[in-house]
Order: sequence, then C-alpha cells, then structure tokens
Amino acid sequence: MGMTITEKIMARSSGRDKVVPGELVWTDIESVMTMDFLGKQCFDKFRSLGKTEVFDKNKVICVSDHLVPPPTQKFANMLNEWREVVKQHDIANFYDLGRQGIAHQIMVEQGHVLPGTISIGTDSHANTYGAVGAVGNAIGVTDAAVAMATGKAWFRIPKTVKFNITGKWQPWVMAKDLSLHIMGMMHWNGHLLYKSLEFTGPAISSLSMAGRMTLCNMTVDLGAKNGIVAPDVVTERYLRNRTNEKWDFVTSDDDAKYDMVYDIDISDLAPTIALPGKLDDTVTVDKLIGKKFNKAFVGTCTNGRLEDIATMAEIMKDKQVHRDVNMILVPASQTVYLEALQAGHLETLIKAGVAIDTPSCASCAGLHTGVAGDGDIVLSAGNRNMTGRMGSREAKVYLTSPSVVAASAIRGEITDPRTFDI
Amino acid sequence: MIKGKCWVADDYVMAYDIIISEYWTSPIDPVENSKMVMAGVKDEFNKENGFKDNDFTFIVANHNFAGGGKSIEHVITGLMGAGIRAVFATSFARLQFRNAINYGLPFITSDDEMHLGCETGDELEYDADKGIIRNITKGTEFTSIPAAPFVSEVAASGGLMNFVRDKIAKGEPIE
Repeated sequence: MGMTITEKIMARSSGRDKVVPGELVWTDIESVMTMDFLGKQCFDKFRSLGKTEVFDKNKVICVSDHLVPPPTQKFANMLNEWREVVKQHDIANFYDLGRQGIAHQIMVEQGHVLPGTISIGTDSHANTYGAVGAVGNAIGVTDAAVAMATGKAWFRIPKTVKFNITGKWQPWVMAKDLSLHIMGMMHWNGHLLYKSLEFTGPAISSLSMAGRMTLCNMTVDLGAKNGIVAPDVVTERYLRNRTNEKWDFVTSDDDAKYDMVYDIDISDLAPTIALPGKLDDTVTVDKLIGKKFNKAFVGTCTNGRLEDIATMAEIMKDKQVHRDVNMILVPASQTVYLEALQAGHLETLIKAGVAIDTPSCASCAGLHTGVAGDGDIVLSAGNRNMTGRMGSREAKVYLTSPSVVAASAIRGEITDPRTFDI
Repeated sequence: MIKGKCWVADDYVMAYDIIISEYWTSPIDPVENSKMVMAGVKDEFNKENGFKDNDFTFIVANHNFAGGGKSIEHVITGLMGAGIRAVFATSFARLQFRNAINYGLPFITSDDEMHLGCETGDELEYDADKGIIRNITKGTEFTSIPAAPFVSEVAASGGLMNFVRDKIAKGEPIE
C-alpha cells in the first residue's frame, strides 16, 4: 500500500519509512513562524524550557503583520517588546515594518517553505504553505516554543481526502470561488475535520501559485489539518529565485489510500459568495445581484497577492468606485506592493478611487486599519465572515473573490464580473 | 474522578466567541483570560467573570466546539481559569483540540445522546481512567472515546511544556 503526499512528508520528517493514519509522531520542522502579537509569548515560553538558543536561527521566522504600523499606544508598546525579544535571540529572518508582509505570504514568497517538508506557524492560516507542496500547519504558542527549542512538533497522521479538479477556469472565476464552493459543499468543519486535503487534477495543474495559496489557505476554515498541492513545474518556477535549498518532487503514490475522493468540474463554477455569519453558507453570485454594500476590502493572506491586484486593476481601469462605497486594498507584502506599483496597477486603482494601505492583516482580524462599524455591510475578499470578525458585531461581512469585489465596488451593488462591461 | 456542574452549549460555539477579539492581544494567563471567557457566546456571560461565577466544572457541547479558526491559546487558558476541568463534545475544532491536549485539558469526544440528554446545571461525574461520564442528576451514563496514550502522558505531566521541559532537562530524545 502506497502513501499520500502528506503521509510521505510526515514519514520522512519523522525518520520513518512508512506512517499510517492515526499514528502519532514527532517530526522535524523546516521553519517555525511567529508574529507580533503572539511572538513575545513564544520566546518567553521557549526560554522557560531551559533553552537560550533556538534550534536554528535561520529557521525561526519572525514577522510583524497584525499590529503594524501601530494604530494605538498599546500596539506600539507590544511591538517594542517584540522587537527587543527578536533582537535578543539573534533571529536572522525578521520581517519588521518596512520589510513586512502577512506572515503566510512572507513564508512562501521569501522561500522559507520547501516542498516535502513541514512548517508551522502561530496563526491559523499557516495551511497556506501547502501551495508549494509542503505540510503547513497552524499551532499555538506552546507548540511554537517547543519547536523553537527542539526543531520538532508532534502530529497525528491524518487521513487524506482527495479533490480531483477538472475543467477549464472561466474568465473572472478564481481559486477563491472554488474554495467557497467546497466550503458550501462539504460544510464547515464537518467531514473534513482533522483531514489532509490534497488538490490535484488538470484545473490545479493550470492554477497559478497565487491561486494555490488561496486554495490551501482556506483549508483551515474547512476544519482540515492541511491542504496540499504536489510540487510541479509551477512550483519549480516559483521557487527558482526564492531558495537555494535543495528539494524534490514528492508526490502521492498511485496506490495511496484516500479516505474519500471528490471530483469537481469547474467548467461551470460560478463566482461564489459566503453570506454573513458562517463560511459554509454560500450562494452563487446570481442570488445576490443588486445587493447594496458600503465597504469593499481586498487584501489578507487569502487574496492580497499580485494576481488578485492585477485582476482588480483590469476590471476597474478607467472606472470609478461607486460614491456610496469605501474601498480599501492592502497588498499582502511589501514585495507584492512594489510589484503592483511597478506594474501600474496601483495607479489604476488609485485613479478609480481605491485607498491603498501599507501591508498588514488590516481589518481582516478586526484589529487594524479599516475595521467595520455598526450597520456596515462589507464585501470582502478576506477569509472569515463571523459575527464581529472585522470589527463591530453589528456589521455584516460577505466573502467573495477579488473580481467580484472589484466589479461590485464600481456598481455599488453585488455584480457578476462575468457580465460586467470591462 | 472529577465531579461538578455542567454548562450545555449550543452547536458551533466558536473560538471567536469564547474569547472576543478585544482580548486576543492579552497575555496568555488563566486568571486574566477567564474574566471575559465566553463573552461572545451569551449576553449573560458578557461581563467580568460572567461565565466563571457560575462555577461550572464541565462543558457539554455539540459539533465543532471552539471552531471557526484561531489558534490562540487564550481559549483554553480562559476555560481552565474559569474552573472547567473537561469538555465533552460531539466534535472539536482542530486548532483548539490541539491546544487543549498541550494544556492537559481533557477535550473528550462523546456521542450526540450525551448532549441531548444534558441540561445546564446537571451534576456530572467524569472517570477519566475508565472514560465514563455519569449524569448524576438524570441518572444516565455515557462512555467516551479513550484518549491516545501520548495525550494521557502529556496530561499527566501537566501539559506539553512540562513534558518537553522534563525531557530536555534529562537529556532524553523527543521522539
């Protein structure tokens, strides 16, 4: 009996020839990520284990993303403590304000995640790392402290569910729509709880790295342990200038055992929207055409990448954001920001009336710029829409793709980008 | 053997509502985190020690307890600080299930009947060794899925930090 890609990665990382679902193993960790609002506590806990030096100064990745630039004195003080502790431990890879980005974007974009290895982070969307054929896993401060000390983490080997994605992507339909479609189909934290999700098939082979990151990112919201796309030519091209480390094309065996296999043809996949409150409460865009909203947001570790910004710019070129809508774009990292600037997308968007903010998690977690107030209706390309997520508990958040947000922001009401006059 | 009063939760009690966003940036500390634990779940809990003052020992929940993402440990320390000694649910969200194991707080998977047959305030008794949950008020008994040996070992050490600290101090391999 063969193994799935996740089983193989767990096996090689724990020094075994074979693992089976249900088994509990300690594995080696390639990179441990922590960020501004939890990082100091990770280092404090790490030292309480009796260690002073982290297992590898190049493999503990520190990022300022939730609190930068500080909007309050409380955050400013937290950031100062955070900088001090990172400095104290002589961490080589510190992405602080000026070099910042959302931690998950930084981890992949800066080559800290390698195919065939396991990386963890103290934020739930660490599942994003699966886009390059790694196991990416969200953990708490305790696990991060242990990994900083030992280079290891414990895992129960998950069962794998395969999603075989076929068909051709329609114009303006994005990986986010597939994520939300699967969310609606499988229901939130239902059958996929604790599972490893493997995305494969022709429509995945043709999907960009940005799209793969979106897809893997949201597997945590399905309740899954990780989401993964096996490395291929897209991965190789993406990583070529990002890492000098050696890696190999680990894939699932033909006779690997899957818990379930789902076939999805995306040829007629429509832009999809999650209704306020629950992620799995999804509808296709046609059910909401004409729905008014007053805030539009694109950014986050789910949809703040160059491809997302390019899509917006294409839709919004020479048009104006509706006067009843405030729109904010927050690029996922300084690198993305610069690339979008150089490509001319930011000029297009600024002319259209989009406010651009410096890279951070922004309003996605309700902690930073652009939070929602009472009665706000937000159309967001972020990842969560629960009550209070983006600020006020009296606000409503609709989740969708950047192309739907862009087209809808022009009209001032929910619009199908496929029928929008571009 | 643990004995005490239970609080029966609805479906989908989210981590977001157990610790509302205002408190995510607080230090991870049982006393501190327990003050406003469950603030988003019910209005009556949305005041200082609103949940804690009920002196619940157990939570009985349905599907996806502590779900909706968020890996913050404040959820677990908040519950522990409020006096919760075990949570029984049909299913748990993965991130908090893991955190609970790391803190040695039993998150015990039980069946639907357990949830349906319980009311807030019922007196329960939990025998961890045998995996038996008794509802003394109702005179019923349920069996839970036994914890993996590693989980019990971590709990016996008083959490993963102690477990690992001990191994590091003794120079034992972690495997």
